[in-house]
Amino acid sequence: MADTRPLSDVKILDFMWVMAGPASTRILADYGATVVRIESPTRIDTARTLQPFHGNTLGPDSSGLFANCNAGKFGISIDLANPASRDVVFDLVRWADVVTESFSPKAMRAWGYDYEAFRKVKPDIIMLSSCLMGQTGPLSKIAGFGNMAAAISGFHNLTGWADRPPAGPFGAYTDYVAPRFTAMALIAALDHRRRTGEGQYIDQSQAECAIHFLGPAILDYTVNGRVAGRHGNADFDFAPHGVYPAAGEDRWVAIACRTDDDWRRLCSAMRRDDLSRDARYSSAAQRREHSAALDSAIAAWSKTHDPIEAETILQARGVPAYQVQNSAEAYRDPQLIHRRHFVDVEHPTLGKFTVEAPRAKLSRTPAEVRSAAPTLGQHNQYVLEEILKYDDARITELASAGVLG
Amino acid sequence: MPVLSPYRVLDLTTERGLLCGQLLGDMGADVVKVEPPGGSSARNIGPFFNDQPHPDRSLYWWAYNRSKRSITLDIEHELGRNIFRKLVERADFLIESNSPGYLAERGLGFSELSAINPRLIYASITPFGQDGPKASYADSDLIIMAASGPLILAGDEDRPPVRLTVPQAYLHACADAGVAMLAANHERTRSGLGQYIDVAAQQSVGMATQAYILAAALGSTEARRMAGGIKFGPLDIQLVWPAKDGYVAMTMLFGSALGVFTRRFMHYLCERGFCDQATRDKDWIQYGELLFNGTEPLSEFERIKEIARTFTRSHTKNELLQLSVEHGLLITPVTTIDEVVDSPQLESRNYFQSIDHPELGASFRYPGAFVKFGATPIKYRMRPPTVGEHNREIYESELGMNASETSELKRKGII
Repeated sequence: MADTRPLSDVKILDFMWVMAGPASTRILADYGATVVRIESPTRIDTARTLQPFHGNTLGPDSSGLFANCNAGKFGISIDLANPASRDVVFDLVRWADVVTESFSPKAMRAWGYDYEAFRKVKPDIIMLSSCLMGQTGPLSKIAGFGNMAAAISGFHNLTGWADRPPAGPFGAYTDYVAPRFTAMALIAALDHRRRTGEGQYIDQSQAECAIHFLGPAILDYTVNGRVAGRHGNADFDFAPHGVYPAAGEDRWVAIACRTDDDWRRLCSAMRRDDLSRDARYSSAAQRREHSAALDSAIAAWSKTHDPIEAETILQARGVPAYQVQNSAEAYRDPQLIHRRHFVDVEHPTLGKFTVEAPRAKLSRTPAEVRSAAPTLGQHNQYVLEEILKYDDARITELASAGVLG
Repeated sequence: MPVLSPYRVLDLTTERGLLCGQLLGDMGADVVKVEPPGGSSARNIGPFFNDQPHPDRSLYWWAYNRSKRSITLDIEHELGRNIFRKLVERADFLIESNSPGYLAERGLGFSELSAINPRLIYASITPFGQDGPKASYADSDLIIMAASGPLILAGDEDRPPVRLTVPQAYLHACADAGVAMLAANHERTRSGLGQYIDVAAQQSVGMATQAYILAAALGSTEARRMAGGIKFGPLDIQLVWPAKDGYVAMTMLFGSALGVFTRRFMHYLCERGFCDQATRDKDWIQYGELLFNGTEPLSEFERIKEIARTFTRSHTKNELLQLSVEHGLLITPVTTIDEVVDSPQLESRNYFQSIDHPELGASFRYPGAFVKFGATPIKYRMRPPTVGEHNREIYESELGMNASETSELKRKGII
């Protein structure tokens, strides 16, 4: 049966690695794009070395991060430094609608694989380069990871307690933001090509995308000259608003009162109607002012409840609350289960491998993750034979020239 | 021509879903923000221009409503709904972020509107999705962060987990919705048909765990939060380090990929006299396993982190950034917002864009193009609209109402 997924007619040659890049082509693969991903046989993709590991065991295919970013793609291992690989690369460019890469700016040029070179063999090619700071500027050569791009674009300083050094958001934050912008830019560029026949080059700075997630703080500075700081879990409008201890070791429940009604319902749930009658707490501004006393009153209640129990009691009254979930709790979360957020795919060597579901539910032509992330060079034969239509002699020649990993 | 210029988007989102339409508008789509009479409640969210609360002066509103036109329309009223249906006839996309069922109860659900316009792509952005046992849960940014996994992983170990001070959860969902809408549009060019898109912020934010949301399913150890870092089993991995004048992010990790950078860094430290050769020549590729299996004592790892800390502390953030560029180290400064806006890197790329606010007689700098398209560059055409700024343009010029009809609607409180 024909693949009805939205992007089933789109072909992507993907040189990207680590997280921000591959996470974007994973999205496109879920929507049906054929993604052929080039990996180096000698320089391992950093993502393959990162936690969490399948079976808690380090191995070239066991990284859950790599698996989550690369499910549904074809993998081919080619030594790009080997001159005999050039013809394969250009044949793949002729096949592709889109080429993506996420090396530091000079790397592709050094191999002679820039937009101008690709455009000569495929005039309407769409090429996107994604790196931390963009292709130009004094910091364009900075190589590194999303935690570094997040730090330099303001995210770290805005996460943590005012009286402590910045805690930073978890992990490589811009690697979570940038992939969506990558995917949007590419599908939009495909639409432009459909209408005009024109391809193009796209320069993506992961930092510049991510700054769109700090819009109000940026404007507060450019408009009012105010430099935002970190405030723990305090909110400018909502109070009380925080993460409160629950029964057990390091267990927590998040509670947010958006309105005075939420506040009254919280008091009633805690059987502390005396608090809602207390004039010191009658508005959000006053509750913020007295947050220390208020937070300890809430903690005295929350400590006596299991986090799920606290969540259930409060949500039954319409008060925003949720247990602060670790992965085990998320895996058992009835809502995530109902939404089929955890999808098992069959891995060629490791068996069942769980990855996250596609990022949206489409009613008529749903996205779908159809296979596990490739092992290194898993699809060499398939890509050369079925996609590039090379004959056996040609494939043997490439193998003996040391092109394939 | 901007890349999405042929398309019309109706934006019915509440404060949860505003970014999505802006991204489409930045790419050239004609985005019509449909607000209730008096304006969207998002206009009440601060901070405000000059700290003056006013519907047209909310910086929260400004941040997510550039590149849109605004009309006011009361969809609680049948007259308003009829006008809305007329707009749907010629729309390519609709985005909304109301509670599940809210629009369907008013006859504006997907099935009703796709009967009017079968090409319509209709996207809903909600906290937990359209269905499921918690679909009607009360929500906020913090609640989603708790439900999706990133919250438990961030913060100081002796204090509660902590969120980013600028709300993030719905932004992830908005961006996912934008991708899904464009994918559906691509499909529509083949089938001629629209469809319904259901985006749950809880699922979108799973992305912000760096796959740690999968740890239990994979049988892997949970990571645990630590100030400026993360704990893996017995290891305290430091990611934020002190500088002379603030903090930097620095990656000092191991394994066949990251260990190569750490080896380079240790060679650099040794050259500079921060450590001896024996320390420099440790096996940085295998170092993680050596620590895990006890071959290398944790105290030795702590000693090495102290060496690295002595180095970072002896330089300013900017010196460390320059060293990072020159020597290929994995260091960037932890910047404050003013440093972001005044960054020479962003300046050299003309990132921040001034937009005129003629009603205030001033112009302000906004975050610039989210990517640089070679053929179809993003150019900001419109500042965020004031309440109902484009009522006349749309109701009279486009829908062909005359002035007395619109004033009648105004009198009835529909627009």
